[in-house]
Amino acid sequence: MTEVDIHIRRDGFTIRVNETFSGGITGIYGPSGAGKTSLLQAMAGLVMPQQGQISHQGRTLFDAATRFSEPVKKRNIGYVFQEGRLFPHMSVAENLRYGIPQSGPGPVGFDQAVDLLQLEPLLHRKPSSISGGEKQRTALGRALLSNPRMLLLDEPFTALDQQLRSAIIPFILGVHREANIPVWVVSHDLPDLLRLTNRLLLLKDGVCQGHGNYHELLEQESALSLLGHGPLLNGLEMEVRRSEPGKILLTGKGLELTSQSDGAGLKAGDRVRVGIAATDIALATGKVEGISIRNQVRGTLNSIREVDGQIVALVDAGQPMVVCLTREGMQALQLREGMPVWCLIKSVAVQLVREA
Amino acid sequence: METWIGFTSAEWQAIGLSVKVALACTLVTVPLAIAAGYLLARRRFWGKSVVESLFHLPLVMPPVTTGFLLLLLLGSRSPLGEWLESVFGIRIAFSYAAAVIAAAVVSFPLAVRAVRTAMEMVDPGLEEASRLLGASRLKTFFRITIPLALPGILSGAILSFARSLGEFGATITFAGNIAGETQTLPLAIYALMQVPGKEEATLRLVLVSVVISLAAMLLSEWYLQKMKHDRG
Repeated sequence: MTEVDIHIRRDGFTIRVNETFSGGITGIYGPSGAGKTSLLQAMAGLVMPQQGQISHQGRTLFDAATRFSEPVKKRNIGYVFQEGRLFPHMSVAENLRYGIPQSGPGPVGFDQAVDLLQLEPLLHRKPSSISGGEKQRTALGRALLSNPRMLLLDEPFTALDQQLRSAIIPFILGVHREANIPVWVVSHDLPDLLRLTNRLLLLKDGVCQGHGNYHELLEQESALSLLGHGPLLNGLEMEVRRSEPGKILLTGKGLELTSQSDGAGLKAGDRVRVGIAATDIALATGKVEGISIRNQVRGTLNSIREVDGQIVALVDAGQPMVVCLTREGMQALQLREGMPVWCLIKSVAVQLVREA
Repeated sequence: METWIGFTSAEWQAIGLSVKVALACTLVTVPLAIAAGYLLARRRFWGKSVVESLFHLPLVMPPVTTGFLLLLLLGSRSPLGEWLESVFGIRIAFSYAAAVIAAAVVSFPLAVRAVRTAMEMVDPGLEEASRLLGASRLKTFFRITIPLALPGILSGAILSFARSLGEFGATITFAGNIAGETQTLPLAIYALMQVPGKEEATLRLVLVSVVISLAAMLLSEWYLQKMKHDRG
């Protein structure tokens, strides 16, 4: 458990965060300049808050009252920068080994990390000759091998090409699974964060706008106004029921879905994260016959909100689902809160998030 | 007179002494320049601009003035000089050591400037990343800052070597013009110029001086290219 209660003065405004974090992956979301990176820097000891304290698993990292701040090198916090910050005069292997403590690398060994992050072919290359995605995997491995007690990732999706942005996600999930430490991911890209986790901390102008489960946050006015700016995604925890080439049957909390994703290597019983864009779901007032859409899920329309001219509907279909539709669409169906609806989802829109 | 490849033994002595003084000067200057360069590039402290000006003073002062100040500070009649002589029996002025000190003081600003610029070019973010990986300041300095600033440190060393080869004013004032002890190439050339009929000998030493300087520059250029290549 990590307890943060701090004020950080930045030019023009103050970042105030007073939150308690449990383990797992936490996405820290907000527009640029909201104070997301400052929060990470304060955690790592790169920035001194003006007030408050930080503690991690009962150990004080920072306390303004007693003017105590544990030095950066002793905090043992893995930090992956947006631009990777690999040492240019060292090979990938030397970069990976740089932070290994004298006592050894901790639960994940060198070979295991190289394997997990698929770095084997790069070990003898210099950072200048590898791609952006490879740099980030190396930086992730370097941080992991320093045996950190938590991992902070600052905008891990932005330095990459649009196509490769999400390519780092399986590796982040894999590192989290192997190291079993809290991971905080800062991003201004909501869909990518939601592929990783449903647990979010929302920051705007230095103030926390909400902290908790994504679907619960969507029901709060202040959180929704921040989340609704960008594209919305449904991140679902599901289990594989059956896997065939080109067709995977998934279940989770009474919800059954068919996905057209590549299920190679998946077997019945595997747990997977599933991403469905809110705009890829259509609503109907009844079951539709004579249609090619494979997934038709029955649920209850819990609420309808309008954000930035876009209608956001929250449906309880065993698992909470967020659906985006147009005002015309809503009026045509005469949607009202509390009425039963059917969510129509093409199986190609049900995307698996794989772990490395 | 004994000769070898056309040079007299006295000329060889001047050439050898020049290289010896220049090497010793580089060895003394570079570690000090690394410390001073790091201080100026990475630390903020009270009176920094005064320290900076002091470091650069020998660059703009006439070398004769530098030599004279050294004489005032370390000459046998100065308190420090007297103390060194009475306690250790060392006389610094007008000795080989004086030639090295004079060359070092004069070339120090050039070396500091090169090192400082190189260290300022090292991304502080990399040093931050090093500390986040649990490295101490010392480890960060030796494994990140110094290797990344190496091209600049090297060019500082070459500058210091070359400047020391050419040092004249401070050396003749503080170390004198003693054959075999403090008479480096420029001093030997100057001494030869005073003697009628030695034009040929003078020219030979001038050529040697040009060749040594050129060789030093070529060596550093080659090394910089190699390093650039190695880093991709």
